[in-house]
Amino acid sequence: MPRSLLVIDDDRDIRQVAKTSLELVGGFHVIVADSGQRGLTLAHEARPDAIILDLMMPDLDGRKTLAQLKRTPETASIPVIMLTAKVQADRQELVGQGAAGVLVKPFDPMQLPDQVCQILGWVPSGKDEDRSDAAEK
Amino acid sequence: MVMIGRIRLWIIAASVVSLAALSAVSWLSYRNTKELIAANERLARAHKMIEDLAALHVLLDDAETGCRDYALSGRTESLKPYEAALAQLDVTMQVLRRDLAADPNRSRQFQELEPVVNARLETMKELVRARSASGLEAAVRVLQSDRGKKLTDEIRQRISIVQTEERNDLLDRERESRERARTTILGVGVTCLLGIVLLLTASLVIVRLNRQSESDHIALQNAERIQRTILNSAAYSMISTDKTGLILTVNAATEKWLQYRGAELAGSSILRLHDAGELQSRGVQLTRAMGMPVRGDYQALVTKAGYGVADDFECTYVRKDGTRFPVSLSVTALRTGGNDLAGYLMIATDLSEQRAIEKMKDEFVSVVSHELRTPLTSIKGALGLLVGGVTGPLPPKAGEMAQIALSNSDRLSRLVDDILDLQRIESGRITMDKQLCNVAAIMKESSESVGLVAEGEGVTIELSPCTGSINADQQRIVQALVNLLGNAIKFSPRGGRIEFAAERTDRSVVFRVEDNGRGIPKDKLETIFERFQQVDASDAREKGGTGLGLAIVRSIVQQHSGRVWAESELGRGSKFCIQLPLLEPHPLSTE
Repeated sequence: MPRSLLVIDDDRDIRQVAKTSLELVGGFHVIVADSGQRGLTLAHEARPDAIILDLMMPDLDGRKTLAQLKRTPETASIPVIMLTAKVQADRQELVGQGAAGVLVKPFDPMQLPDQVCQILGWVPSGKDEDRSDAAEK
Repeated sequence: MVMIGRIRLWIIAASVVSLAALSAVSWLSYRNTKELIAANERLARAHKMIEDLAALHVLLDDAETGCRDYALSGRTESLKPYEAALAQLDVTMQVLRRDLAADPNRSRQFQELEPVVNARLETMKELVRARSASGLEAAVRVLQSDRGKKLTDEIRQRISIVQTEERNDLLDRERESRERARTTILGVGVTCLLGIVLLLTASLVIVRLNRQSESDHIALQNAERIQRTILNSAAYSMISTDKTGLILTVNAATEKWLQYRGAELAGSSILRLHDAGELQSRGVQLTRAMGMPVRGDYQALVTKAGYGVADDFECTYVRKDGTRFPVSLSVTALRTGGNDLAGYLMIATDLSEQRAIEKMKDEFVSVVSHELRTPLTSIKGALGLLVGGVTGPLPPKAGEMAQIALSNSDRLSRLVDDILDLQRIESGRITMDKQLCNVAAIMKESSESVGLVAEGEGVTIELSPCTGSINADQQRIVQALVNLLGNAIKFSPRGGRIEFAAERTDRSVVFRVEDNGRGIPKDKLETIFERFQQVDASDAREKGGTGLGLAIVRSIVQQHSGRVWAESELGRGSKFCIQLPLLEPHPLSTE
């Protein structure tokens, strides 16, 4: 069973690229949200295995969304990776606020899934594994 | 001053000459007047003489006439004029004798005249006697003897001579007098003219002196006005203190910025305007730097200035209402003419606006970096997936095009990173987190960062560290060294060797990155550290550089008070060196 990821980013193209990369290269199941608010709702409903959260967003920005996720008991345990342009990131500060790690934009779409696994301590699952898993079931 | 001395000399000379001239003229006038008086006296005498002689003449005639009348008529009444004249003659002769006594010539002439006059008087007496005693015929006989007439003629002649001589004398004297008067007038005239000229010159000089003094006064006033304008310049706060840090004067800007009136501040300590904590830290910092104890009070502000060292630093001013604002402070020692310390002058510029602008710049940089990176993420992402074959196989040409697009989007991304990095480092707003860093540790981290890349290019890095520590932001120094190593790897031939070493001098550490690549031409050794400079235009494309790497290295090194330079020989290789101050545990030298 492939792990599921929730990608929260206000930029449509980035969402699409991230989704394509994580699905086709990483073999994950990916759902997307276009705003912090929507992301909170989806996180609550779908309970993904991890969340990738953009830092700079209008309305409810990344930090506030992270705080909210960690405050809500149902979503508090879901690991969150912050996605950010280098300059604003303060890795230590974000980790201190509850993030599992930080990914830098622009990312290499071919490396993104491995980077995610590295941060979360997951074993990188190739498509073959999923197929074989699926075949077993 | 010289001007005044010369003028004074002039005035003294002019006065002396005028005085002399006046004295000369006075003396001349006095003498001439005396001579004039004498001449007048002589004139009177001469006239008297001539008159008296004429009177003598008349008297003698009267006597003669009276005598003859009697001689001829025998009437006693005719004798009266004769007797009257006789009586008068005596007196007149006395007078004449006195008149002519002054002049020896005239005296002689009188002495010659007198017996002749007496003789004539005798003849007249004889005639009278003859008539009265003997009658008419005896008288006629005496008359016919003619003696009387001869005597009379002689008398007349002598009188005439004297009169003529006197008259001539007079004329001569008059002429002489006139000439003398003329020369005197000329002399007086010339002297007066000289006096007038001197007076005019003196006046001119005094007028000029006056004008000079006036223009000096105006110049002084202007200088004072300018000084006051400078002092009250709105752009700087100027505070003067005495040796102990008590405020003496403040300018208008100080009053305005700090919300005090000058009178409120005069006599209070300068510490009233500063942040106590800041001064404490400065005291500690200066103690370490100058190797002597510096208290964290006003000493922290003025010590350096007192030693004649230029002291410019940033600190905080505290307003009357307690609010603060940042200033750039410049402290100078004020000394008297004899070079004694009189106090200090503190000139401050308000940095609030500058800081606000820098904050805006930082925010701008932040926003821009996000804005630029967002589309780049999509571009790089999409192209990466294409090239990675995730969307399916690409026809060869399409693949080539996609690859070109991808590598350039990478380049663009690196460019954005470098520009923003450079901007933040150069603006100095990146507070470098300087700490004690070990040289060897820095070198290890740097070479490990590029380890994979070096391996990929088949280049080996030889590490030769040294002992020692520097006060630095490790991340940034590593960034700089990684940049140099990256360049060295880029330009090294396959199988080449890079020397990465550190050496100690007595006060600093020099990091050295040496390669045997193609080298750098001599005329480019300075310019390569400037922005967007690459030795060869094609490098940018081939080697993937942004042209900003060395500019960033230089900026980082400068922020650490260090030096970076390159040495190279074309075809043999290049050597890049970074020199940084060594951190001694007990600094003894001044900053």
